[in-house]
Amino acid sequence: MIQLTDIVVKFDDFEALHNINVHVKEGEFFTFLGPSGCGKTTTLRTITGFIEPVSGTVKMQGQDITHVPIEKRNIGIVFQSYALFPTMTVHDNIAFGLKIKKLPKPEIEQKIQTIARKVDLSDEQLAKAVSQLSGGQQQRVAIARALVTEPAIICMDEPLSNLDAKLRVQLRNELKKMQREFGITTIYVTHDQEEALTLSDRIAVFNKGYIEQIGTPNEVYNHSKTEFVANFIGDINPLGAGVVKGLGLPEGKHHFIRLERVRVNRPKDAGEFQTPGVIENREYYGLYIKYYINAAGQTIKVIEKNDGINIYEPGETVTIGVHPQDVMSY
Amino acid sequence: MQQTLKRKSGFDLSLVWKVFGGALFVYLFLGFMVLPCLNTLTSIFTTKDAAGNADPLAVIRFFFAGNMPSFVINSLKLAVCLVITVNVVGISIVLLTEYFDIKGAKILRLGYMTTLIYSGVALVTGYQFLYDNNGMLTQWLVNLFPQMNRQWFSGFSAVLFTMTFACTSNHALFLRNAIRGIDYNTVEAARNMGAKPFKVLLKVVMPTLLPTLFSLTVMTFITGLCAMSAPTLLGYNSINPEIVRLAGSSVADEAFPQARAALLSIILALFTIVLLTTLNHYERKGHYLSVSKTKAKLVKQKIQNPVWNVVAHAYAYVLFLIYMTPVVMIVLFAFQNWPAIRAKSLNLSSWTLVNFFGTQDYSFTTSRGKQKLREGVISGVFSNADTVGGIRLSFVLSALAAALACVIVVVAVNYIFKHRNKKRAAIVEACLLFPWLLPTILICYSFRIFFNNEVWYVLGKNMYYRENVRFLIVMAYTVVKLPFALRMVKAAFYAIDDELEDAARNLGASSLVTFLRVKLPIVLPSVLAVFALNFNALFTEYDMSATFHSSYGKSYAMVIQSMTAEEGRDGYNMNGSGRRCASTVFIMLVSGLILYLVYGVGARDLGERLERRKKRREFLARLTGKKTAQGG
Repeated sequence: MIQLTDIVVKFDDFEALHNINVHVKEGEFFTFLGPSGCGKTTTLRTITGFIEPVSGTVKMQGQDITHVPIEKRNIGIVFQSYALFPTMTVHDNIAFGLKIKKLPKPEIEQKIQTIARKVDLSDEQLAKAVSQLSGGQQQRVAIARALVTEPAIICMDEPLSNLDAKLRVQLRNELKKMQREFGITTIYVTHDQEEALTLSDRIAVFNKGYIEQIGTPNEVYNHSKTEFVANFIGDINPLGAGVVKGLGLPEGKHHFIRLERVRVNRPKDAGEFQTPGVIENREYYGLYIKYYINAAGQTIKVIEKNDGINIYEPGETVTIGVHPQDVMSY
Repeated sequence: MQQTLKRKSGFDLSLVWKVFGGALFVYLFLGFMVLPCLNTLTSIFTTKDAAGNADPLAVIRFFFAGNMPSFVINSLKLAVCLVITVNVVGISIVLLTEYFDIKGAKILRLGYMTTLIYSGVALVTGYQFLYDNNGMLTQWLVNLFPQMNRQWFSGFSAVLFTMTFACTSNHALFLRNAIRGIDYNTVEAARNMGAKPFKVLLKVVMPTLLPTLFSLTVMTFITGLCAMSAPTLLGYNSINPEIVRLAGSSVADEAFPQARAALLSIILALFTIVLLTTLNHYERKGHYLSVSKTKAKLVKQKIQNPVWNVVAHAYAYVLFLIYMTPVVMIVLFAFQNWPAIRAKSLNLSSWTLVNFFGTQDYSFTTSRGKQKLREGVISGVFSNADTVGGIRLSFVLSALAAALACVIVVVAVNYIFKHRNKKRAAIVEACLLFPWLLPTILICYSFRIFFNNEVWYVLGKNMYYRENVRFLIVMAYTVVKLPFALRMVKAAFYAIDDELEDAARNLGASSLVTFLRVKLPIVLPSVLAVFALNFNALFTEYDMSATFHSSYGKSYAMVIQSMTAEEGRDGYNMNGSGRRCASTVFIMLVSGLILYLVYGVGARDLGERLERRKKRREFLARLTGKKTAQGG
């Protein structure tokens, strides 16, 4: 569907993207994830045509579009600020692209009605000014405006970052539902790992202009390819010499284990390394409790479901266990 | 093939536009800013002695030997005093209406804000009408204090008094905004730590206002230095009236008047440049911006001490009276007939509209006992040929200049934003800000002298000659208004989110369509506001047209000024003062309407406009619904 091959982007002397290779498949929800300044938005803007790469090619449905002007690419965009035109009504915002294409009026109206129903905008809302809508409604207008011209793919640049936490989760679900209904190929940019993990079919993790890993949410989380990915996504315990020695792991590498993979007070499995520890501290999160356990000469963080069974008090002695197959080594 | 051809011709066309635009810009900048002013500067050093020999330093010597320094000293004296009085009154009116809990603050604010629509020549002549030696208010005051000097309203004291109250508009606008921007939590925090209200005002509130106050002080100082209408009309020998007098004088009457005028205007320019550079430097150092993200709205402070509370209220209402009395009196007198106005006492049985519309005849007995009738010598603003002519001329010239300034600035700002961070953008901007450094009088004086010759680049014509002067006035108006227009329009362009442009391009719009359909509608309210404000200022301006001093460029304000002169001699110009009052009412209406359109209607966004439209429709529906119900 979309194929980026050896893309290099430079801003004056600064090389923002180094040999980026991505292949997004038809109908896929594909996320560019990474900290700010990592090159994810630059990659997105290269796809949409706002940035021209120094070298490399962008192909869409097999056709080279590297040098095709922005307006001829047939790619929809939902901007971070939504970029809704403040001087136009909701209706006129959605109609803008269709009018530029010089479609006949009845067809424009019909398309607007169809898309408005799909994204759940009423006729009354269509007549309103953008500023009269809530954040969530504005997002739906931005999506409708991007989809109404029937683009081959849709790009979203951190569309949830302007919203408060609760609305973000709610709209995230709506977004996923809409994408499934429309079946449209979607490229999504975010720095929020939770958003990436819940929404995506596949994720590309960016760092300093490189792609560190491309994979499904499970692959990226549980089988992080690089130390950066392991640390960037989710919380993780670096393993100290005591545990490494106990597990018989090679010493020249860095070893990590996810918090939920450390077992507390469980019967010993074959191959598992166990060691006693003392609860130093705990943080109460409601859904779960995070314990800081001093064991094998280091502090290890552990998550326990708040089910009323595995509740430990600070100072209590417990046994922690680690399976060698849960350890990620780099 | 066709596409490449098209592209190529499009490219050529844009190149032609660029070259043409660039050339026009250079022509206007050099021809109407640099060369005339440069001519003024050099004319100081091209004087000749009696024998006809060049004597470049003659004016400088004359300056130190003659009375020229007294004009500079008078101007400086006015500026210094004005800084003190305007700040005292300006800070008072803002604190009284925005910071302290004074009863009737809303009404007070309206009174203090009247200078926004009542200013310039209209205000000065109004004050003169009420306060001069047989003015109505002077009479009241004399009745109250019999020892009082009837002549108090002349010269320096009159100018200072008038300008003190005329120049608080900027305080009312900007200081008010600054005080409203204060985070109330900081006041509460100070109170919580034990500071008394007065201490809070001094240590917490005032420091945040200092940057605004500094800017206002500099602007007031410059206003005082460059004062024109008040000193001219009230008789005070400061720099500007002297420049205008010298410009009209000839070598036959006194020694090198033009060179002296040039020297004075350059001195004024030097002061302005130094002050504005200081201000600019200071502003660049940064402001005490509020750091909090969640600002609390200021709650008005009640003055706890009962004595001080009464004093503050009394002070507030005395100021209110000073502001409001002239306005109310002028409005009332605008509807009085000429005998009442001449007697300067309100006659509650002689109301008339003749100061506005229509004419009346006047019959009188001559000194030889003959009865004479002068037809139509009592005439209203809209039926007096002179006045209508002034209104029409000012209207056309101001509208042209305001529109020209807007067009130049919009094109330039679009260019500046396209080439952000490039040197040429900075150069264009600097050129447009250049007139800001020059006193208005220097520009007008330079135009008057420089173009009073056949100048090759204006088709070899004398542009000061007869009607040509109107072209010069439009150009001077435009040049003077460019810096303000630039600052406002630039701020509007900053408000355009880059993503909007990206979005329009992504949806298929070309850059021209993007400019016309997306960017222009966003900045249009600001551009129209700039047009309206500039028009408003120019429509009633006096200083510039008075500097040109041409009977072919007699602006509305000059006509108003002339109404004060020779009133009623032999039955001519019978109701000059009445017409002047009516003119002031007319100006207040025009200015009020413009300010309402700019800040009331123009400030509404699409949402608010739709909301209002909906309400109007509902209202109409209810109205017509009722009517049908009644009809049924």
